[in-house]
Amino acid sequence: MVNYATAAVDKASVMRGLVSKNRVPLGSEIYNRILETLYDEAAALDERRFDDWLAMLEEDLIYTAPVRLTRNGPNKDRDVMRTMMHFDDNYQSILMRTGRLSKSAWAEDPPSRTRRFVTNTRVAECEAAGEYEVSSYLYVERSRFDVAHNETISAERRDIWRLVGGAYKLARREIIVDQSTLGMSNLAIFL
Amino acid sequence: MLQKATFTLSDGATLDDLVKRDSYEVALRVMSDEELYKLEMERVFAKTWLLLGHDTEIPNAGDFVVRDMGEDQVIVTRDRNNEIHVSLNVCPHRGMKVCTAEAGNAHAHRCIYHGWAFRPDGSFIGAPVEKEQMHGNLLTKDKLGLKKARVEVYGGLIFATWNIDGPSFDDYLGDMKYYLDQLFCRTDSGLELLGPPQRFILPCNWKIPGEQSGSDGFHTLTLHRSLMEGGVMGGTPESIYDNAPGMYGVDVSCEQGHSLRCLEAAQTFKMFSDISFEGKSVEERLQMLPPPGITKELIPQLFNNLSPDQVEQLATIPPQVGGLFPNILVAFIFAPRTDGGSSGALALHTYVPRGPDKVEFVNFIFAEKDAPEQVKRDMLQNSIQQTGTSGVIEQDDADTWPQIMRNARGVVSKDITLKYQALHGHERPEGWKGGGLLYPGFTKDDTQWNWWMAYYNLMAEA
Repeated sequence: MVNYATAAVDKASVMRGLVSKNRVPLGSEIYNRILETLYDEAAALDERRFDDWLAMLEEDLIYTAPVRLTRNGPNKDRDVMRTMMHFDDNYQSILMRTGRLSKSAWAEDPPSRTRRFVTNTRVAECEAAGEYEVSSYLYVERSRFDVAHNETISAERRDIWRLVGGAYKLARREIIVDQSTLGMSNLAIFL
Repeated sequence: MLQKATFTLSDGATLDDLVKRDSYEVALRVMSDEELYKLEMERVFAKTWLLLGHDTEIPNAGDFVVRDMGEDQVIVTRDRNNEIHVSLNVCPHRGMKVCTAEAGNAHAHRCIYHGWAFRPDGSFIGAPVEKEQMHGNLLTKDKLGLKKARVEVYGGLIFATWNIDGPSFDDYLGDMKYYLDQLFCRTDSGLELLGPPQRFILPCNWKIPGEQSGSDGFHTLTLHRSLMEGGVMGGTPESIYDNAPGMYGVDVSCEQGHSLRCLEAAQTFKMFSDISFEGKSVEERLQMLPPPGITKELIPQLFNNLSPDQVEQLATIPPQVGGLFPNILVAFIFAPRTDGGSSGALALHTYVPRGPDKVEFVNFIFAEKDAPEQVKRDMLQNSIQQTGTSGVIEQDDADTWPQIMRNARGVVSKDITLKYQALHGHERPEGWKGGGLLYPGFTKDDTQWNWWMAYYNLMAEA
């Protein structure tokens, strides 16, 4: 049941940012390596090197994008609706999506030209050793066919990156989009 | 041919020039014409029944969601008497939105501009500083409520229309009710909307997805080729057109413009291809392969809620995809999963006009309320992965429609016609129990042409 009427603060729908208090400071070795990984990931996706991107994913990956809702009054901060999502994926379904993209996926054939801008990156240590919460802002410009007007999307991404064999791998991603009605005509691209 | 009152656009074009009944063609310019769009808002969207949501979204008194009927925004509420109301979200004082949130709970909706307040049933409570009578001296309070639409709840689905004295909801559904009951009214507790709808904007006219929802089965083979390549539907990439999985069934339709494609699972999906219903009872068939969204525990409920003939159809050749005129798509489909299960995906879409060149795609995702939680969870995931924003099926539709739109603006292209000339003709299959216009065999253009005839009939009435 979709209950919009909850009186108590619903933690699940309030934006929380980083949970951990153990910040990994800007400029530290770990911070730099994670930021570099985010840039590498953006480049892999912009360049449609999906095998390289898959190599950055953990097999227990959970990849979601809840819908947003315009709310007011006592509910005004409870606007992340995790009962419904734009993405609801795991590693297997991401493989299904990338596999499709290598065949007749007209939504990306011919492909979009994309630029993923990753900023405002904050990192904190998780309780599990070698795992890091990473919150970043994402802005995507997407050029389709010869249309001069790009479609765009902005979001905050809340990730968990895990240090595995010397490389950081993505274990969780929640994409908090800003629009309640997306201006992008499909999400045939990854965020 | 039936003569009807019609209209003439400023360049002299008439409805008969646009929708060519003699040759089963529609001029591409209908997708971009601004004058026509304004007429559609009056003659279609302010006249016919429109789907706004589901009653499980607003379970408690005071709950509301804000939705759109064409370009008119409405508040859908539940009052203290458990009645559902649909009221225009326009303050009768100065035209401000009375409700600025998209969902919530309120026992009074107070306009933030000057404070006029309204109950969930749309009735006027009063304006601030009561002693000064700021609602005026000319109209009594009972004349100052929000404008109300006529409401009908069917299978929990909330429909409304501005056509207060127009056709009844049963007349609107016509012969399709028999089939739609098999999807929406088949379990004791009914459907549950799993969360707020996905919403996104496509740069195309509402009729481009609209006419496709008139059961365009044929596009599946080519546009959704990836379903065959991914091994979901029968056939291989090399044999798609020879096997033509999912093309054969019974398309059902009616003159109101609604339609559904009834398909045998074994004819459509690779994983069901070795299932033979030959000589099996209805009960056995249901146990072997429950219809999309139904679990084995729910099978007895089907017999409580549907007629034996309806259960037999649901067990054998269930309605799976189609649409209701003017702007509703139905997708209650088998959805084989990567983990081997197949709990189905149940989705309804509305294509809400946002101007001649924009449409809002609203994706409602359902499960049966009495289904186990894990099944609901799986079904949510199935629907999100197959339909709507990121759905691998509908990504391809969303990328195609804007390109048709772009063509519709060309001064030469606009006179190209959409052709619905691959016609089968109504034919009742032997032993078929349901009513309506029936098209057995390969899916053809008949149902979509019926969609256009429903459009023609509404547009011809001033």
